[in-house]
Amino acid sequence: MEYQKPIPLKNQDNSPYWDAADRHELTLQRCDSCHEYAHPPGPSCAKCGSTDLSWVSIGDDVKATIYSYVVSYRPFLPGFQDELPLIIAQAELEKVPEVKIMCNVLECKPEDIQIGMPVQMIWQDIAEDRALPQWKPVDE
Amino acid sequence: MGKITDRYAIVGVGESERSRNSGTTPLHMALDAARSALKDSGLNAQDVDGFMSYNENDSCTSHELATYLGVRPKYVKDIHGGGSSTEMLIGDAVGLIEAGILNTVLIFRSMNGSSGQRVGRGYDPDMLQGALPGGSYIIPYGSASPSQWFGMFATRHMHETGITKEHLGHVCTSFYEHAGRNPKAFLHAKPLTMEKYMDTPDISYPFNIHDSCLELDEANAIIVTSAERARDCMSKPVYIMGMSARQCHPHAHYWSDLDQVASDFVAPKVYESAGVKPEDIQVASIYDCFSWVVLRQLEAYGFAPRGEVGNFVAEGNLRMGGKLPTNTAGGMLSEGYTHGMNNVLEIVRQIRHEYKGTDRQVEGCEIGICTGWSGPDIAGAMILRN
Ligand SMILES: [Zn+2]
Repeated sequence: MEYQKPIPLKNQDNSPYWDAADRHELTLQRCDSCHEYAHPPGPSCAKCGSTDLSWVSIGDDVKATIYSYVVSYRPFLPGFQDELPLIIAQAELEKVPEVKIMCNVLECKPEDIQIGMPVQMIWQDIAEDRALPQWKPVDE
Repeated sequence: MGKITDRYAIVGVGESERSRNSGTTPLHMALDAARSALKDSGLNAQDVDGFMSYNENDSCTSHELATYLGVRPKYVKDIHGGGSSTEMLIGDAVGLIEAGILNTVLIFRSMNGSSGQRVGRGYDPDMLQGALPGGSYIIPYGSASPSQWFGMFATRHMHETGITKEHLGHVCTSFYEHAGRNPKAFLHAKPLTMEKYMDTPDISYPFNIHDSCLELDEANAIIVTSAERARDCMSKPVYIMGMSARQCHPHAHYWSDLDQVASDFVAPKVYESAGVKPEDIQVASIYDCFSWVVLRQLEAYGFAPRGEVGNFVAEGNLRMGGKLPTNTAGGMLSEGYTHGMNNVLEIVRQIRHEYKGTDRQVEGCEIGICTGWSGPDIAGAMILRN
């Protein structure tokens, strides 16, 4: 069945992130002046305003823990109606804990989700040449 | 702005009917609210030389409102805004009066928030991705509703501080109890017990329908002028002791640091500006788009220490007779929702002792706080006195 949910739209500021995701690789924007990561990325650093920015590859094997979550019982957007309840979470990256990435936790029951839970990034192919970073619980 | 304590006052407040389906436009409702506030103040429309409003592309303009009050004002201002904008516009009004540019300002918020454009609903997902900051990192994951964004903040804060679902319920049941005494509250006849609250299924855990503000069709208006001119008004002036506003976190919907809440920065400034402490406050209007937001602000504004906010509400302190009767008309959870302005109307009426002799009046309330919260990123607050 065709993917019905919204597909990330690329723009001037976010395309390096989504281009890398399409290659199953996570890259994050970092400021060369204050060395802080910036996520979501922007036209300049949200911490210090510098325009000296780089993209840093975090690779394709990305681990995190759950920082926070909601369990959504209603589809607020088209395409999500068949996947309720939906876990929407923020994943705190193991390698860059100051970055929290919003995500869905797949293969997880709503009663099992909890803060601090370890998760692994997986790459969900959603269209030809497009992929969405998602997460699943780490098997213990 | 220099020291403004007691030099400016709110001299008129008014609202339109509130309903699920007004059958009319925001302009009509804004006119009703403005006329009601003018009547309350005893001023004529021609006495108002500044008109201001905030909206989310869902309202009429200040220019239209002035036009149909038959006024050609010196100044109109419409900003894009939500929670916290009421306090910010009152600050703007005070600044313009202080500068001698204006004499009297009417501030309004009018929205068909139920029958018209609803917050966070009915938009095209691609349009939302472009419109929201960092939208491409939110929308593909199905996160498009304020209940989901605020729920994410709440879950983490609850985890860190021990606040429980039942504590959220105490906020809701306290405010619904107040709505039960307010015939104009939309949920006046819908009492809420803790049992009923706990049995209500979640929309976005940790929130069920009672944790969320009531989207209605409604308009509110407030008139601000100098203390000097306030003496000529019919109403009892409510003086502005102090105010403050602040922006902090860069991403409203993408919150990665719980310590970056604008209220935490606004709180010391607003107390300093008013020259009072939390223990001097006897009545409160705390911005309540969601129940949890009240708890986080009680912590920020120093009414209970972090970790003890849940107990503070469980002890009944938000109710009449408690330490801090809060949102005494029912608040946005049960009276009505105009992005914060209806809570300002209520605190003005409390501080005027307008309900004297009834079970709605907070006894001996001379000083009150009113807070706005637009998310973790933006907050405004003011302290008012009799
Ligand atoms: Zn920087």
